[in-house]
Amino acid sequence: MSPWLLAAIALITYASRAVALVVLPRPSARVEAVLARMPAPIFASLAMSTLIGDGGALAGGPILWAAAGALLAAPQRSLALCLIGGAAGYALAALLS
Amino acid sequence: MNAGAKSAPISIRRIVATALPAAAAIAVFGTFYGAGAGKILGASLTIASSLFIFSGALQFALVALVAAGASPLPLLLAAATLNLRHLVLGAVLRPRIGGSRMRRTGSAFFLVDETFGFALAAGNAAERDGQDTQAAAERTLLVAGALCYLAWQLGTIIGVLGATLAPVEGLAGAIFPVLFIGLAALTATRWSHTLRAVAAALLTAGLALAVPDLRTFAPLIAGVLAALPPGDR
Repeated sequence: MSPWLLAAIALITYASRAVALVVLPRPSARVEAVLARMPAPIFASLAMSTLIGDGGALAGGPILWAAAGALLAAPQRSLALCLIGGAAGYALAALLS
Repeated sequence: MNAGAKSAPISIRRIVATALPAAAAIAVFGTFYGAGAGKILGASLTIASSLFIFSGALQFALVALVAAGASPLPLLLAAATLNLRHLVLGAVLRPRIGGSRMRRTGSAFFLVDETFGFALAAGNAAERDGQDTQAAAERTLLVAGALCYLAWQLGTIIGVLGATLAPVEGLAGAIFPVLFIGLAALTATRWSHTLRAVAAALLTAGLALAVPDLRTFAPLIAGVLAALPPGDR
């Protein structure tokens, strides 16, 4: 890969980030209502995608236990508690294995 | 939105404390990138790629393509398609982020999955606390973004230098699902959001298993589809 190609890819990447944040006008109320519903589904999808590896295999046991711990803490709607729940799940799996 | 409120903005210390676990995990994956890419791209291009691209998924994909002997066109196409998600993340964040066009131009560089989540969560927390939501989201995007950026650079350099953090790979791998579950919980402010989140997660799993080639895009497709049906309860 040449430095010029790297520069072009960096430019594409930055442009993709800046277009919606900087260039595009604020969305209409109707679009904004849809966008407002997106965060939780996107994060839940990202969480699921990190649990599925290449070839459709599930992540290892401790990672699943960590996810389960975070899910148990999720109703509290606290990121810190989710991290603690995840750490507890991971530690429990490490102890049991 | 409560952009006009004058309460004190979220502190940098609080943002750093929130983003630190993710930054640590990013540093660990940075070492894997540095170690792997260094052998294929060379030290200087590997470090330059992290400095100027700052996108783990894209950078790993580029190295795999270069290792497979891909010409420039597939590399550019990979960059264009893998970066599509930024358009959606940016569109979701746009109404919630303040600052001048100049400031948004600068902070846009730090828009990645994790910082997007932290910025949204900070905006939601500020709204509950009667603070300036747009300032909180903007500041969080910038500070958490800078922290994650530094972690990615540090990890890349450590990897290029040949050091390894393999013993903590499992723990680092566990941070991302936990982090995203926590962010989903924080942003699910209504029952309908929770239902949409569950539906999106199941759809992601279904898509990733049924069409493995779509695995990278499955979260975005599922997230958008789950948000489309009207109604907020």
